[in-house]
Amino acid sequence: MSSVPLSAYLTLAIILFCIGLYGALTKKNTVIVLIAIELMLNAVNINLVAFSKYGMMPSIDGQIFALFAIAVAAAEAAVGLAILIAIYRNRKSVNVDDYNSLKN
Amino acid sequence: MMEIAWIIPLFPLFSFLVLLIFGRKWRRGQIDFAVILSLVSFICALLVLFARFTQENVKVEFTWLTIGETQLTAGFEVNQLNALMLVIVSLVSFLVHMYSKAYMEGDERITVFFAYLGLFTFAMLGLVLSPNLLQTYIFWELVGVGSFLLIGFYFYKEEAKAAAKKAFIMTRIGDVGLLIGMILLFWQVGSFEYDEIFAVISAGDLSETMATLTAILIFIGAVGKSGQFPLHSWLPDAMEGPTPVSALIHAATMVAAGVYLVAALYPLFAFSEVAMLTIAIVGGFTAIFAATIGMTQRDIKRALAYSTVSQLGYMMLALGVGGYVAGVFHLTTHAFFKALLFLAAGSVIHAVHTQDIEKMGGLWKKMKWTAPLFLIGTMAISGVPLLSGFFSKEEILVSAWVSGHYLLFTLAIIAAFFTAFYMFRLFFLVFGGEEKKEQSAVKESSNWMTVPMLVLALLAIVAGYIQTPWFGTFLGDWLTTGIAANVHGHLDGPLWVMVVATVVTFLGILLAWLMYSKKVLSRDWFTSRAPYTYQLVINKYYIDEVYQYIFVKGSRFVSQILHFVEVYLIEGLISLVTITMRRLSIIGSKFQNGQTQLYGTVAFVGLAILIVVFALTGGGF
Amino acid sequence: MGFPFILTIIVFAPLLGVLLLTLVAKTKEKLIKTVAILSTLPSLFLSIYLIISSKMGVELVSYSGKLSWMQFGNPEVFGKLYSIDYELGVDGFSLILLLLTALLSTLAAFASFQIKAGWKGYYMLFLLLEVGMLGVFAAENLILFFIFFEVTLVATFFLIGKWGLYEKERTAFSLLIYNGMGSAILLVVIMVLFAKTGTANIDALMSILSADDGTVFSSKVKTGLLIALFIAFGIKLPIWPFHSWMVKVHSEAPAAIVMLHAGVLLKIGAYGLIHFGLGFFPKQFESLTLWLAILGVINLLYGAFLALSQQELRKILAYSSISHMGIVLIGLAALNEAGIQGAMFQVVSHGLIAALFFYLIGIFYERYQSTSMADLNGLAKTMPIASGFLLVAGLASLGLPGMSGFVAEFLAFLGLFQEWPVIAVIACLGIILTAVYILRAVLGITFGQQEKAKMVRDMTAFEIWPAIILLLCIVGIGVYPDILSSTLKSIIIGLGG
Repeated sequence: MSSVPLSAYLTLAIILFCIGLYGALTKKNTVIVLIAIELMLNAVNINLVAFSKYGMMPSIDGQIFALFAIAVAAAEAAVGLAILIAIYRNRKSVNVDDYNSLKN
Repeated sequence: MMEIAWIIPLFPLFSFLVLLIFGRKWRRGQIDFAVILSLVSFICALLVLFARFTQENVKVEFTWLTIGETQLTAGFEVNQLNALMLVIVSLVSFLVHMYSKAYMEGDERITVFFAYLGLFTFAMLGLVLSPNLLQTYIFWELVGVGSFLLIGFYFYKEEAKAAAKKAFIMTRIGDVGLLIGMILLFWQVGSFEYDEIFAVISAGDLSETMATLTAILIFIGAVGKSGQFPLHSWLPDAMEGPTPVSALIHAATMVAAGVYLVAALYPLFAFSEVAMLTIAIVGGFTAIFAATIGMTQRDIKRALAYSTVSQLGYMMLALGVGGYVAGVFHLTTHAFFKALLFLAAGSVIHAVHTQDIEKMGGLWKKMKWTAPLFLIGTMAISGVPLLSGFFSKEEILVSAWVSGHYLLFTLAIIAAFFTAFYMFRLFFLVFGGEEKKEQSAVKESSNWMTVPMLVLALLAIVAGYIQTPWFGTFLGDWLTTGIAANVHGHLDGPLWVMVVATVVTFLGILLAWLMYSKKVLSRDWFTSRAPYTYQLVINKYYIDEVYQYIFVKGSRFVSQILHFVEVYLIEGLISLVTITMRRLSIIGSKFQNGQTQLYGTVAFVGLAILIVVFALTGGGF
Repeated sequence: MGFPFILTIIVFAPLLGVLLLTLVAKTKEKLIKTVAILSTLPSLFLSIYLIISSKMGVELVSYSGKLSWMQFGNPEVFGKLYSIDYELGVDGFSLILLLLTALLSTLAAFASFQIKAGWKGYYMLFLLLEVGMLGVFAAENLILFFIFFEVTLVATFFLIGKWGLYEKERTAFSLLIYNGMGSAILLVVIMVLFAKTGTANIDALMSILSADDGTVFSSKVKTGLLIALFIAFGIKLPIWPFHSWMVKVHSEAPAAIVMLHAGVLLKIGAYGLIHFGLGFFPKQFESLTLWLAILGVINLLYGAFLALSQQELRKILAYSSISHMGIVLIGLAALNEAGIQGAMFQVVSHGLIAALFFYLIGIFYERYQSTSMADLNGLAKTMPIASGFLLVAGLASLGLPGMSGFVAEFLAFLGLFQEWPVIAVIACLGIILTAVYILRAVLGITFGQQEKAKMVRDMTAFEIWPAIILLLCIVGIGVYPDILSSTLKSIIIGLGG
């Protein structure tokens, strides 16, 4: 039954997280940045679920947290995209580098 | 009377304050008030002098300043020297007050003038009454300020401004010497009191080197004030002030303060042979040096000023060779005849409106009073027998001969010859000869001016008889009782000294007569033979130029260098710091570019580094 | 005598004026000025009262007031309880400075009549500045001292930045940066002392440090702390080479503010050096006196030489202040009774003289819109009274006997000659140079022919009296200095002399 070890889940999660981090920090397109952030969240979800099964005290808590996270992420994506559209209308651009009005 | 001697300086001080506060109101009344106050002050001084004949010295003091456990005192003292000086100062001051009433009439700042006179008289009387060095120094400087203010009285003239500044600064150089000497002496003796200083000296607790050092430093102060070489050049320039001022300050009183200081501290000086020799040499050199310049001056007041410098040199010489009485005696007689000469010169200037003796002439007939009075002064200073100058000069020559400084004695004799020559040169040029056209309207001065001159002339004749080889040596005996140093009331010299002095005087008069009155000798007989020497002398040995070059230019140069340091080095360092800061802030603000992704990257890199450090060090920093 | 809060009233009385001024409309010029001047008076009268009663024999200690403010730290863990209290108190020296501050504040409030706009803000800041200055001298606690110290800095910054002359902003920032740096260093020292001893009370610190034989601080640390204090207060004094901000302030700030700046604020530096430097670390101080003497001579001569080549009266006076602060330094370097007393006298005397000078400068500036020697030439013709005062101020400044400057200079030199005769002889050059540059400046302005004849009125009767008050103080101290020295006596002996 327990053919997949914990370390495999964690490795998958860290790979996902790193891809997400890379995307969030380097991509110029805001939509991609948002997707990358979703990737990082999902990496965390994998960790939560994996620990709820293989942790020191296995219980259902981790899975509930994961569900919460998914719900919050959905809400966040909605708000994020809404802001994106609002800015896009204003600036005619989805390039992150153009979003620097806080500086000046 | 002696217990309230402190009141004497307060009259002129009061006059100063009143005139200053009321300013231009009730002008005439204020001036009379000032004259009366100076008269009162003179009468009090006279009473004190008479009281001193019969009573002992008086000294009263109170605490002036506390330094930890040490207390510095202030107060006043009356002794023989003080009492004599009090009378001289207050008398000349009173006469000058009187004279100025007429001389300065019509000047719109006449009350200011009288206020300054009051300030000066106050300071001078205070100086004379001081019982300790500190108080002497205080009044010493105040006297300098009085002099400074009066020299610069015609403030709108550039020359007056420069002269006032020069007088103040050059005397200040001397004063610094005095200050240093005084402080060094204080740390040796533990007191500024004259009495205690003398007590320490006579107990032999002061080392010879220290005594020499302090004595010479204090003497530098006297050099500054009394216009001795090399700090003499301010005194002729000081003639920019009104003439009564020249009579009061730059002939009779303040310039004699240096001589007075040396006399007052005589036991200290007498303790150190080196110091005495220094004084004698400086005095002797100044006497002849200034006399040579005096022969070439065209300005009547400047010629008299160089004569003053020369006579002060005489006094210093006297003190330096041990002639304590001779020095003080000459100080007294000189005060009278030099004040007379200046007042008479003022009377002439007042009448002819020029100071250039080449433009004067033939005034003998026009000025019936001034001319004979000037002649009396001239004769007195030249040392014509039976006038006061004769006796005091003779006393100095004898002291010099007896002390064994034959070179200085010779210098003094030559200087006496020069003195007679240049004084009669002045006399013949101003009063003798042809009348000049532009002076047809010359009138004798008013009584307010002639009466003071008359009094002074009388004194210039009789003042000598208080100390003569023939009628007794009253002054000397009186002055020397109770002095802590080894001084003589009178020295008996060989008779030929007197004869030589008289002969030399008459030779000088004869030469002046031949050159300037008879015109038998051509005036440029000497100048055409030694043009370079003449150039050197008439330019006052280029002393002013040398000072200008070394000190004025020098300090300006240092000032410029420091200005460079200020502007380039210090400001430069500061801008270096600010520029560095600005560069750093520019680099720092590169990170604040508003790019969220960059912030995120930095945050993660930082976190990673922290984790690595944490892992490597095993949890503890 | 149970009147412990008189000092609190003295210090905070001007604050009442600030509150009143908030209620007055911006445009009511007369009312604002009246309120401001009146609110400087209580401090003045009370501090005069304090001086008189201390002369009558009341112990100064009875004026100390204390309120506990905050305490923290667990004695069982740290071994001590950290407490910061609100403590005010005075000794002879600070009492005199308190009076000086109160007096100059009133006079400067009068001199501020020349301010042309923004009276309300000006006077509010002005009064705040007074609170700060009074507090600095009355504080018995280092942290309180620091707070008041910063208040003065902030108030001066705005006063100069808004009401100064041409380069006011630059000057204000220069002031802020230099003094901020000094404050930072000072704060470090205060915190080190506080952290190690647990108290910020000045007297307590003095007794702890004097009893300390190396257990609280090693002597190296002490020397380090002392040098830090030298730098912190040296910037304020200012000691060469930290002086350039102060030259700017002298030449750009409004005259009334310079009266206070030169008269009182610079004195905080001297006060700090004497009170904290010498008070906390007497032994280390002694080992540094040679350096102090050298710095003093540099200050003295450097300031004098630079004053010699300036054309602007304000700048001449700025450099003259540097030169005169050199006398404070050499007096301290002598570290004997005469020297310390000389330094204290110089602090008071220079405060009065500088205030008189800048009071006159304010008057000249109002009439001529310039203070350069070329523009004012021949002033004695048009303004004889003002010229007279200028001349007297100049004479006082060059150390004429009979005025306060002489007593200070004389005492400082008297002290220095005992300890470092050779340095003292070099320093004596400064006496001559001072005479040269002062006469050059004063005669350059008052004497001579006026080229640009301009009809201006002389000082009015209303304008004369502040100058007369200052002059009376200067002459009073000069003629009878025992008036000050008897008040200072106990503290000088206390400082080890």
